[in-house]
Amino acid sequence: MMLVCLSVLQVIRCKAAVAWEVGKPLSIEEVEVAPPKAHEVRIKVEASGVCHTDWAYLYECGKGMAPRTFPLILGHEGAGVVESIGPGVLGFSPGDKVIPLFLPQCKQCECCLSSKSNLCSENWENTQQGVLADGTSRITCRGQQVYQFIGVSTFSEYTVVPEHNITKIHPDAPLDRVCLLGCGVATGYGAVLNTGKVEAGSVCAVFGLGAVGLAAVMGCRNAGASRIIGVDINPDKLEIAKKFGVTEFINPKDHSKPIQEVLRERTGGGPDYSFECVGNVAVMRAALESCKPAWGTCVIVGWTELEDMSLAPIDLLLGRTLKGTYFGGWKSVDGVPRLVEDYLSGRLLLDEFVTHTLPLDQINQAFELLISGKRHYICPTTPRHPLLYMCLATFKEGKKEKERK
Amino acid sequence: MATAGKVIKCKAAVAWEPNKPLVIEEIEVAPPQKNEIRIKVAASGMCHSDLYYLFEAKNSAGFPIVLGHEGAGVVESVGPGVTEFKPGDKVIPLGAYRCGECRLCKNPETNMCEKCWSNIESAQMSSSDTRFSCRGKPVLQFVGTSTFSEYTVLNQIAITKIHPDARLDRVCLFACSFCTGYGAAVNTAKVCAALKVQPGSVCAVFGMGAVGLAAVMGCKSAGASRIIAVDINEEKFEKAKIFGATDFVNPKAHQKPISEVLIEMTNGGVDYSLECVGDVTVMRSALESVVKGWGVAVIVGWNNVEDVSTRPVQLIAGRTLKGSMFGGYIGKESIPKLVLDHMAGRLNLDEFVTHTVKMDKINDVVELMKKGKCIRAIINISK
Repeated sequence: MMLVCLSVLQVIRCKAAVAWEVGKPLSIEEVEVAPPKAHEVRIKVEASGVCHTDWAYLYECGKGMAPRTFPLILGHEGAGVVESIGPGVLGFSPGDKVIPLFLPQCKQCECCLSSKSNLCSENWENTQQGVLADGTSRITCRGQQVYQFIGVSTFSEYTVVPEHNITKIHPDAPLDRVCLLGCGVATGYGAVLNTGKVEAGSVCAVFGLGAVGLAAVMGCRNAGASRIIGVDINPDKLEIAKKFGVTEFINPKDHSKPIQEVLRERTGGGPDYSFECVGNVAVMRAALESCKPAWGTCVIVGWTELEDMSLAPIDLLLGRTLKGTYFGGWKSVDGVPRLVEDYLSGRLLLDEFVTHTLPLDQINQAFELLISGKRHYICPTTPRHPLLYMCLATFKEGKKEKERK
Repeated sequence: MATAGKVIKCKAAVAWEPNKPLVIEEIEVAPPQKNEIRIKVAASGMCHSDLYYLFEAKNSAGFPIVLGHEGAGVVESVGPGVTEFKPGDKVIPLGAYRCGECRLCKNPETNMCEKCWSNIESAQMSSSDTRFSCRGKPVLQFVGTSTFSEYTVLNQIAITKIHPDARLDRVCLFACSFCTGYGAAVNTAKVCAALKVQPGSVCAVFGMGAVGLAAVMGCKSAGASRIIAVDINEEKFEKAKIFGATDFVNPKAHQKPISEVLIEMTNGGVDYSLECVGDVTVMRSALESVVKGWGVAVIVGWNNVEDVSTRPVQLIAGRTLKGSMFGGYIGKESIPKLVLDHMAGRLNLDEFVTHTVKMDKINDVVELMKKGKCIRAIINISK
């Protein structure tokens, strides 16, 4: 399949993984990607991570996640190259390396103008529906409009995003690594630095050692935490967690006492900071109750939409603070390129997150691997690689992946 | 004093069992032991925390007990080892004190103390080592204070000396409600006038009892541009206005949930909310009323029986939930200064006082509090 890159007015036909309905595996289809309209940018997606949230919107709609409209193209953790720009777009040219952003930064709204928040809401209702500013998506398949998941859709060789939902990054950035800054790693890392604001010497606990949790561990290490306690029910996570900076590991299943008590005993009253990187309301409660009364801060990082978390008011009256973070508190357009530079300078790890690289055709296997990492403890007879993260490379047919420097 | 070293027989309002009226009894108050101080209580407020213990805490093991913690008095005698206090000093007892030695006391980020906690967290809220007895039985001292008694004994770490000219039947309010509410706004929420793009923060205070009114006063003192008083009893609004509230909302007057009403009134939600009721549904509303991105909700009201719930998305969208104990104040340091502010006219306590009674009318005060018919009734404990 030859891809036409020269004419900005042309519809591009390309490959994408389409979710036709809730609960069904993704289907590799040929889709049509319309040219960008005003203030939009069409991107050639080179690589995408697979995030648990993508899986959840396909398989958990109505259970932990609010329903989205189908058919849909998932994927929101990507990186690529500008193919063409729509009228009125400044600052981007074809060939620029970019990361699309599900969280925009318009630099004009109240949130963008405040130093206290990163929650730009430009076009929010539209992108949550899966459409762009004019109420339509740019992607069609078999004559139907295909919605763009949170306005991004990186499980497609091409996509179109609004101009404030994209940021230009360093030309040397390897796209099959920095794509992770489109969601998981930025979220976990920022939860520590921006939302928790962990001070050097702090004692931290991170619940859930998936990519988000490991990025939080990395954040705690870079912040100078004196102890970083990794908490996970999957014992295989220990080895990889150590690479990111975990100093101790606790598996709640190894103890009859609640994890809160175990943590409080091990730390003389509780860690200064706890980070919930699972998205489970019982773990959220445990994370809050674990952290030290008087000044402990618990940050909710994991996402769940429909269930309530509960807590005892006295846990807060005794001095704890409960917060949450979205995209790690980064102002997206400004923050992501700096994280790319941190990676290029060696301050931030990304390579270690990648356990598998697969072509787009194998996306459903990718989901399987992601979920099996969670169920590992149930099936110990065929141990798999501890699955933390995967990187999905899309290929042009007949061409090899370039050698990384 | 002539009574030094001796047991004092005096009047106290004893709670013999849960859910029953207090009984005015003669009790025996033992002399202070090492590091302890016996005080003659001049006046005390009654706080919903006293009533919470009596009616809602469901703990029959914590009786009989003398309640009351919002008091002020004069030192009658001191035990061995006490050098900071002498008979005649005016003092305020501290339900929330600091031992000065534990890890928490050494950290300036908090006003908490591990030793004090063991009082607050335990079901009894009061050490079994009491100096009170009545009709031969030991009677517990509520959070180690017990200001519904003409005399009480406290450890010297749980008491602070104040200016000799302080008016005791007003400054007793610094022992609890005033500091709890005012401090929640100025210390815990850190209501800051320069928060948003335009100057002045928007605050909502839920519950116009003494704590809520003190929180309103704190918001005003910190420079809030709008202070929305929320209460289901509209009779409270007049007082709220005197303290500085600019808007008044009765949730019962609206079909929509209160959080939606507040969000509409404030173009997205308030910058700070303070829950001064102790009801978990109100706590949830308080969190859901703050603006996403930077809103802070502070739980001030006491509840250690039920859970509060919220959707995690509320937090992920940038709201913060905190709690405040004694307004974040370190009593020993701050109360004497607050007393000076009161004496200089910078802090008005008179508006809190709606009734003044003698101790034998204490059950009338309980009834007034239950019906929301008073803010603070000052009980003149000693003649």
